[in-house]
Amino acid sequence: MVEVPLTDLREGETGIITSIKAGFGHGKRWGLLKRLVDMGLTPGTKVTMVKSAPLNGPVEIYVRGYRLALGRGMAKRITVEVQR
Amino acid sequence: MTEKRLRIALAGNANVGKSVIFNQLTGLHQHIGNWPGKTVEKAEGTLHFRGYTIDVIDLPGIYSLSTFSLEELISREYIAAEKPDLVINVVDASALERNLFFTLQLIELEAPLIMALNQIDMAEKKGIKIDHKKLEEVLGIPVVPTIAVRGKGIYELLNKAIETIEKGVPRANVIKYGVEIEERIEKLIEELKGAQLKYPVRWVAIKLLEGDEQVEREIRKISPRALKLAEKLASEIERIHGHPCPTVITSERYEAAGRIAREVQRVLPGIKPLISERIHDLTTHKILGYPIMVLVVLGALQAIFTFGGFTSEILGTLLYSYKPLFESILGLGPLKVIVWGGLMEGLIANITIALPYLIPFYLILYILEDSGYLARAAFLMDTIMHKIGLHGKAFIPIMLGYGCNVPACLGCRIMETERERLLTGFVVTLIPCAARTAVILGLVGSFLGIQWALALYIINLAIVFILGRIAFKMLPGEPTALIMEMPDYKIPHAKTVLKQTWFRLWEFLKISFPLIIASSTIIKLIEMLGFLDSISKALSPITVWWLGLPEITGVILIFGVLRKELTLIMLASLLGTTDFQSILTPLQMFIFALVVMLYIPCVATIAACVREFGWRRALVIALVEILFAILAGGIIYRLMAAFNMLSG
Repeated sequence: MVEVPLTDLREGETGIITSIKAGFGHGKRWGLLKRLVDMGLTPGTKVTMVKSAPLNGPVEIYVRGYRLALGRGMAKRITVEVQR
Repeated sequence: MTEKRLRIALAGNANVGKSVIFNQLTGLHQHIGNWPGKTVEKAEGTLHFRGYTIDVIDLPGIYSLSTFSLEELISREYIAAEKPDLVINVVDASALERNLFFTLQLIELEAPLIMALNQIDMAEKKGIKIDHKKLEEVLGIPVVPTIAVRGKGIYELLNKAIETIEKGVPRANVIKYGVEIEERIEKLIEELKGAQLKYPVRWVAIKLLEGDEQVEREIRKISPRALKLAEKLASEIERIHGHPCPTVITSERYEAAGRIAREVQRVLPGIKPLISERIHDLTTHKILGYPIMVLVVLGALQAIFTFGGFTSEILGTLLYSYKPLFESILGLGPLKVIVWGGLMEGLIANITIALPYLIPFYLILYILEDSGYLARAAFLMDTIMHKIGLHGKAFIPIMLGYGCNVPACLGCRIMETERERLLTGFVVTLIPCAARTAVILGLVGSFLGIQWALALYIINLAIVFILGRIAFKMLPGEPTALIMEMPDYKIPHAKTVLKQTWFRLWEFLKISFPLIIASSTIIKLIEMLGFLDSISKALSPITVWWLGLPEITGVILIFGVLRKELTLIMLASLLGTTDFQSILTPLQMFIFALVVMLYIPCVATIAACVREFGWRRALVIALVEILFAILAGGIIYRLMAAFNMLSG
């Protein structure tokens, strides 16, 4: 088991979310993190990397039975645990 | 006997077929406007059923009831404060877990609820079978399976809705969180006892633990002590779990949704990949995705302009054939000039632009959106959009901008936050629309060659990037990121597409018709009173000295505010020739086209901006663009003159 940023998953690889770095200052200003968890990216969730767009583009992941596009900057803040 | 009135709201995630159900229910009896004081669309419709007059409100498609976006805020405000008789939760059966997460929140908000389990056909194609009876049992709310695009289950849904209201809406089963959270919710409920709340108390307690800003603001006024307590309890939960309290609560809610989903659905493995999957792979392909996108966009533009040009001419000829009739009735005096030149010309302009270009434009747009392609385009364009501080979704209004800035401005609503909307709106008004393209191609393209027209587009892109970046740095707020569901490809629902086209067109006409007619009449009046020359004179320091253009262009630039393509027509009529090279130097043509491209959004676009962003911001956008166009025009003029470009 290794912990890597979500963006490091290879296509087709599945990992389990361990943490999401909020990092937009403290306390109240955390709209994007909230949005991520609202879309189902909570700690302990299985995510599969489907595709990573070229040139630092967004990633396409499969989570909770649907397809989600995530900006790379956002995806980097998500740490996943993966069996390698 | 007067009919009994009911209010039913539709709520659900985006891309679940909610608007199709809305259309099936209300037919043509619809009204689309804005939520009071907000730039979020409000679709209402009326239907008559079993002796009731039912108002149906289509709430925005959202994934949660937090305060991340205006849509979410409006939805929960509506449900909690306006108290509709019933909320129909439209659910995508093929992504049950995520949809149930939203359902659970509706239940926590104590909405009177029934569920439309939609797209069961698509779910079955994916091998998902749902036991809706069991779902009904687990949630404690009525569930009606539907296939909205084929009209299946709509009648049953309506029947069930009325039946439920008549019999009294059952109390849904509330999910329980972990003991350590439930204990703290209880404590907060205790603390909040007796307070006047507009929301259910348990919901308020949960939202306080989740750090919901809006609820906190309201509770601060009523009970600052509860707020303090909530902060303390939240940090206790954070200590126990090692994650922020809001994340913990959302996690548990999602776990509950997942549990319910697994309990009621059976997923058959080994279904062969669907065609929609293959199209998805192709259209988001690392390399192939981009040429496909270019083809789609060019194909769409080609279709719009071919159809538009053709129909526009026919309509124009037809309408202008009435001119002699007007002249015979009104004579050739000032009355004719005002009525024909002002009112009728304005009307004709609207008809010849709105109908031929906008109808195919919206049709194609909604086909692309409904099918799911636009989400793929946004995915591909995310990297580039980030360069101006936006994300992939902004590509959609920007692309619209090349057709017409008005729908593009209205299209900025798809951005989630106020800041992103404003930023996208600003960028969009800089995009050369079809009218500006006509000037660029008609003047620069045909007299100087296509490479110079292309140069203008490149300058434009550079300016969009530079100004976009500056605006991005100046506007305060959070960084933005793409977080977007990519729904499965599907065949667009014809009726919904047509209806959307119709309502958008109507929206456009409402904004532009009165404005264009009024302003073209006013300008005709000014012309009749003989003020045109003095206006040109007054502007000559800018036009002649700074931009190096003929004096007459001053008036033309004023007229151009109405409709940009008018500048070319006026240039011809005021100069008395369409052979522009005999009167304008190549450099003058280039600078003129550049200024027209940038200097101000047209009246209709300004009106759209006012609607979306308010007077002050619309004015700022317009002023910034006027100043910038003059500045850039003069500088580029001097630079090109210094390097002897376009001098021969």
